[in-house]
Amino acid sequence: MGTTVAPEKVLKELSALWVAHGKEGAAAGAAGVLRACSMTLVVLAETGDDLAALGETIAALMPEHPARALMIYLRGAGPRSLAERVTQQCWKPFGKGPQICCEQVEITASDAALADLPLVLLPLVVPDLPVIVWCRSARLLRMPEFRQISTMATKVVMDSAGLAGLAAVMGWMADATREGLMIADLSWTRLTRWREMLSHVFENRDYLAKLSGISEVRVEFAGELGVAAWLMGAWVANALADAGVKAALRVEKQDGAALRMELSGPEVRVAMERQGDRLVIAVNRLSNCTNLPQPSDYLLMREELGIVRRDAVFEKSLVSAARLAYSTDK
Amino acid sequence: MLDSMANENPFQDALRFDRQVPECAIVIFGANGDLTKRKLMPALYRLAYDRRLSTGLSVVGSSRTPLSDDQFREKMLEAVKEFSEDTDFDESVWKTFAQGLFYVAGDIGDAGLYRRIAEKLGTIEGERHTGGNVLFYLSTQPRQYAPIANGLGAAGLGKGNGWRRLVVEKPFGHDLSSARELSNQLHQVFSEADVYRIDHYLGKETVQNILAFRFGNGIFEPLWNRRYVNHVQITGAESIGVEDRADYYEQAGALADMIQNHLLQVMATIAMEPSASFQATSVRDERSKLLRSIRPMTPDEVRQNAVPGQYGPASIGGEDVKGYRQEKGVKPDSQTDTYAAVAFFVDNWRWAGVPFYVRTGKRLPKRVTEIAIQFNSAPLHLFNQDGAWNTANLLIVRIQPEEGISLKFLSKRPGTGMTLRPVSMDFNYGSSFGERSPSAYETLLLDAIIGDATLYTRQDMVEASWSVVEPIQNTWRETRFDFPNYAAGTWGPAAADEMLARRGHEWRKP
Repeated sequence: MGTTVAPEKVLKELSALWVAHGKEGAAAGAAGVLRACSMTLVVLAETGDDLAALGETIAALMPEHPARALMIYLRGAGPRSLAERVTQQCWKPFGKGPQICCEQVEITASDAALADLPLVLLPLVVPDLPVIVWCRSARLLRMPEFRQISTMATKVVMDSAGLAGLAAVMGWMADATREGLMIADLSWTRLTRWREMLSHVFENRDYLAKLSGISEVRVEFAGELGVAAWLMGAWVANALADAGVKAALRVEKQDGAALRMELSGPEVRVAMERQGDRLVIAVNRLSNCTNLPQPSDYLLMREELGIVRRDAVFEKSLVSAARLAYSTDK
Repeated sequence: MLDSMANENPFQDALRFDRQVPECAIVIFGANGDLTKRKLMPALYRLAYDRRLSTGLSVVGSSRTPLSDDQFREKMLEAVKEFSEDTDFDESVWKTFAQGLFYVAGDIGDAGLYRRIAEKLGTIEGERHTGGNVLFYLSTQPRQYAPIANGLGAAGLGKGNGWRRLVVEKPFGHDLSSARELSNQLHQVFSEADVYRIDHYLGKETVQNILAFRFGNGIFEPLWNRRYVNHVQITGAESIGVEDRADYYEQAGALADMIQNHLLQVMATIAMEPSASFQATSVRDERSKLLRSIRPMTPDEVRQNAVPGQYGPASIGGEDVKGYRQEKGVKPDSQTDTYAAVAFFVDNWRWAGVPFYVRTGKRLPKRVTEIAIQFNSAPLHLFNQDGAWNTANLLIVRIQPEEGISLKFLSKRPGTGMTLRPVSMDFNYGSSFGERSPSAYETLLLDAIIGDATLYTRQDMVEASWSVVEPIQNTWRETRFDFPNYAAGTWGPAAADEMLARRGHEWRKP
């Protein structure tokens, strides 16, 4: 491993791997190696991250979202150095049939070398396909180099859960969105199934007719779910406002349930709460229980990689949540 | 703003949410039968597990067997546990789902049954907010379709506060006139728009993907015509025999059981013109138009272009397999076709002269359903091609068991010489998208609840299919065949190979 990375050399190594796989395949009687690729996925992670688990997540995502994965490991302070390693993942969907492979390039970078990264990554992205940047490093998000990397991204995925300074984080995301960056926050992704179930309730004409009576929306959260709670509250409040309904919104930190939401009015009460791997939704006296696995990185990224366009509902909710959380903070 | 609130759900998010399903009650006639246990209830449970059903969704099972609601729930629980494939059983999900299961016993000829169902639906509508929407699912013998529809109509159940839809399973008649008669009887209570004729082949992901493949990509459609396509082969092969369906099969045969409905629908999907939109009416109009363009055959043409078969005994892998005539419930001199191969021709500008070879059979070497589109060879052979590799490009759409698409083409073998070899570019649905594909019944049940009839068969399509199949049936009925004419475990009678050989073609062996 050297202290610099030459993109041309990486591309040659990738080609050499394809040839080697092709020869192995031919020896085994297969008719060559085939590649599926739908995007370039740039993953930015600290070397202290659980890299084994991250590797498994990437491997699990590849069959659904075949990609050239550029794994950037940030090793913090130290002399200016970049190092790379090229690997591939293959699987055989047709038993002994041709393989479909995903390319993976791992680059380790010290903080001092971060400024070199954009020009290393640029030639490595697959032409004509989207570039998704998944930033797992809270530290990097605040560094100027991140903005440079994100300029090549079609979409940037981050996770606000656990980031300090709830209002500031949402303000930062809202500003980045306003500046034109297509941003996705896994705190929002975690809410999809909740939002979908709530929406489902109001597909019912009886309940829809009672929507105007909703006077209060309460979201309770614990732990790191502050951003999620504000986003949920802002989304519900916006939707109600779009329908001409004014309801008071309360977002409160609690010790109990991780996330709980309730919409209430004289004629309808909808309460949603996670119970283990299930989501329990109660609508007046009826209750319903559905499967809701804990949202792993794999499940969240699977959803985000499937959306490569602006999410107007998220962006509107984000701007509202940032404003509401800021005013509450004050 | 307040006006729109009453009509539109403000929480919709089309980018991220699956299609939203309206509230409704489903009434299943034949609720104690195999289809309900093996397919319908596991599909409904899976939809509940995946959060796809509305909170108050209710199911009213009905059959002659006296059962309480709880006994019905217990039976359905067993069915879900036994027949749910790749779905974890979750006690809590089942518990809330089962609260919506009810049962009404009775004979379909008894007017009292329909009154009791009406009462039950009234109670459910009040308690579970189903909005008066009801889907009637006839999971019964086809001869009971008309009496049930009449019973529903007489009890006033054909209309109500919400929508009313009727789902029927094939066969839709046993010939053209009986298909028309059945429709006339159903139409006395339900309009054609509310009759959903289920063809589970159309619910399969790959069949739907044919539309995406053809009309979502710009590169294939220009090749999709008589100038570039040499011929098309559609195969629906089963490795099993008639099992316990001899009663039905003796009446139907392979041609009516598979080709008249499933395989002609698949052919229509492959060959139809692009529809103006993806609305149900537009897509079905095009399918229907294609079916009406298939040339009906004269008796002479039937003898040239259609081959029946019946399997005889064989030893497969050391196991003795009975011939069809030795199966329980089959007449020893049966003339029923367990195999049928037909060369259809489509009389339109796109397909004139291109044979569509359609075959189906029992006790063939493997269970496979696929469509193979063979393109014309390159006009000039520039290369010193090995005869074995001198093959045309093939596009194969596999419907089962492994759903996927393959494209076969020739490529230069690396080296100094100019040797070509075929390579296959494969797209496997399961491994390419990893995600579990919904079962055909999950897709079709959701579509019926939502009111999307795209994947359902319309009466004019049924009649068009019978119009091309009936002349073959009639000619075969008048002929005494020397059955059995193929051994179990083989790819069918020699006459089917000869039918293709006359045009210089050959059946693929999938």
